[in-house]
Amino acid sequence: MSSASLSRQRRFILPQPGDSLAAIAARELPGMDAAAAMQHLEAWNLHIFLMRRPAGLLTGCDVVFVEPPLATAGA
Amino acid sequence: MFDCVIRNGLIVDGSGLPAFKGDLALSDGRIAVVGAVRGAGAVEFDAGGRVVAPGFIDPHTHFDAQLLWDGAARPALEHGITTVVPGNCSLSLAPLRIADREALSGMFRQIEELPKESLDGSAFTWTWESFDGYLDALRRTLKINVAPLVGHSVIRLWVMGEAANQRAATAEEQAAMQGLLRACLEAGAVGLSTSYVDVDANLHPVPSRFAHSDELDGLAAVLGEFGRVLQVVPEFYNTDITIARVDQLAELSLRHNITTTFSPLFDSANTPDNVSRVMARVREQVRRGARVWPQVQTRPIDISFSLDLPSLFFAGNPPWYHAMRLPRPERLRLLKDATHQARLVAAAGADGGDAWLGSLILRQLPGDNEGLEGRTLREIANSRGQGSAQTLIELSLEHDLQAHFLAANRGHEIPERVGPLLADPLVHIGASDGGAHICSFSTYGDTGYLFSKFVRETGLLSLEQAVKKITLDTASIWGLPNRGLLRAGYAADVVVFDPDTIDRGPERAVSDVPGGGMRYVRDSVGVDAVFVNGTLAWDRGGYKDASVGSIVT
Repeated sequence: MSSASLSRQRRFILPQPGDSLAAIAARELPGMDAAAAMQHLEAWNLHIFLMRRPAGLLTGCDVVFVEPPLATAGA
Repeated sequence: MFDCVIRNGLIVDGSGLPAFKGDLALSDGRIAVVGAVRGAGAVEFDAGGRVVAPGFIDPHTHFDAQLLWDGAARPALEHGITTVVPGNCSLSLAPLRIADREALSGMFRQIEELPKESLDGSAFTWTWESFDGYLDALRRTLKINVAPLVGHSVIRLWVMGEAANQRAATAEEQAAMQGLLRACLEAGAVGLSTSYVDVDANLHPVPSRFAHSDELDGLAAVLGEFGRVLQVVPEFYNTDITIARVDQLAELSLRHNITTTFSPLFDSANTPDNVSRVMARVREQVRRGARVWPQVQTRPIDISFSLDLPSLFFAGNPPWYHAMRLPRPERLRLLKDATHQARLVAAAGADGGDAWLGSLILRQLPGDNEGLEGRTLREIANSRGQGSAQTLIELSLEHDLQAHFLAANRGHEIPERVGPLLADPLVHIGASDGGAHICSFSTYGDTGYLFSKFVRETGLLSLEQAVKKITLDTASIWGLPNRGLLRAGYAADVVVFDPDTIDRGPERAVSDVPGGGMRYVRDSVGVDAVFVNGTLAWDRGGYKDASVGSIVT
């Protein structure tokens, strides 16, 4: 069974070596103003920006969401 | 003549098939006969009215250091656990260069809440650097079986030194890690553990968290060569991230044909759809052929603490968390200082901490406690005419920080929700964390609780189902040969218990950790005897002297 059979889940990326959050914002949110893209990444990734010291420290294993939470059924 | 015959028991053999009355003969460390045993045993054990089952297997522990001063992993063995898997969460005690001992000890102390003396060489002698050297050190005094994981953070530390928790690995470093993992698996490791949440003594992410996906992919490829397991700790507090980890594990499982497991998966009122959403994703991935096993613990989340030691109870409140991590003299000064007190009270909430702390139960107070034990902090605070946070501080200071509090049922406490989850064929019962967080809660007795709460009290699992879950299922998931079943030729790991009384005892504080450190433990209830590799290792008379445990691989 292929991955095509999987239900839609929130889209994320795993950082590449040398990645920064700014680089991820530019790559994953093309066409969006850089500052706005970073604001979106912050809002969607509180585990990186709010729960970590220093805030915004990106580690190689991080899940970085590149879209907001999906609407839940019935919401 | 057999070495031992256990007679007249109710045999629950681990297969999940119906129990039956019969005998069990043990010889040369193996099960010789299951059923009617005609010959005599050098030792005869009457199991009338008792269940005879395979020894339980605990797949998520941190007994790595404790096993060096206590080969029985007390009190795990007396609960019927005959095999433990240490080395979880990216941390093992090998391979480890001498120069890196202090760095690794800091990580262990952070996660296991062990005092410095337990790892500074006074409780045991560091005689190894390599993984097989560590196993040799363990073998000398083992009373329980050990199926060891090797930790990803430790492998990184060996190859990258100080850079291990700073940056991505180069291609050469990744190749060196693969070679090192290969050597550990050849020596007897049953898999690799990694962590996405753990921090070191400075609250900095542990080395495994700096690994990019290509590094983990390369290590998973080595696991595939050996058919070994990958264990991870996901960001369990966030459902979307946990689902992302399920997908990541599924891809690794499919690409390298390996078994993966993640722990923990909790039921929580804070995120009521967490379990259903994660399990739905696990089902989808299993249908694709991936092997992704969520580990679920049996016990509710209870956290005990005093202000005498750091506690993960405060992890969600940074001002309190950092204050409690200060050295004791500094912490005492801060708690006594009115300005700092006010800051902490303010950080506890606008209601004086009543919502956050008011439901805490005062569980233990030295000396004359004026009938306070068992009362909630809010009740005590009301009687003193102050808020809960102020009362927590003052009560602690009045008793030299020896007031012990219990935060009960902070999640995973509703049997009607947890029971069906434990019974799910795609759920791996585990995540006990045995030997970790020792100052915050007891990690012992989860198996007794499985039988008392979910078999006997609520009937959400059958006796046979519960036994299978913590014996054959665990051995199968982890690829432990000849364990987890009562079958002729299998290892004679056996537990004899009373199905009407088996339980976990009340949680109590003891001071038996090297250096005078305390921990919370629970005694076993309703367990009569535990055999390890055919030899009686524990009965109601206590622990036996023989070192009968082995490295299981």
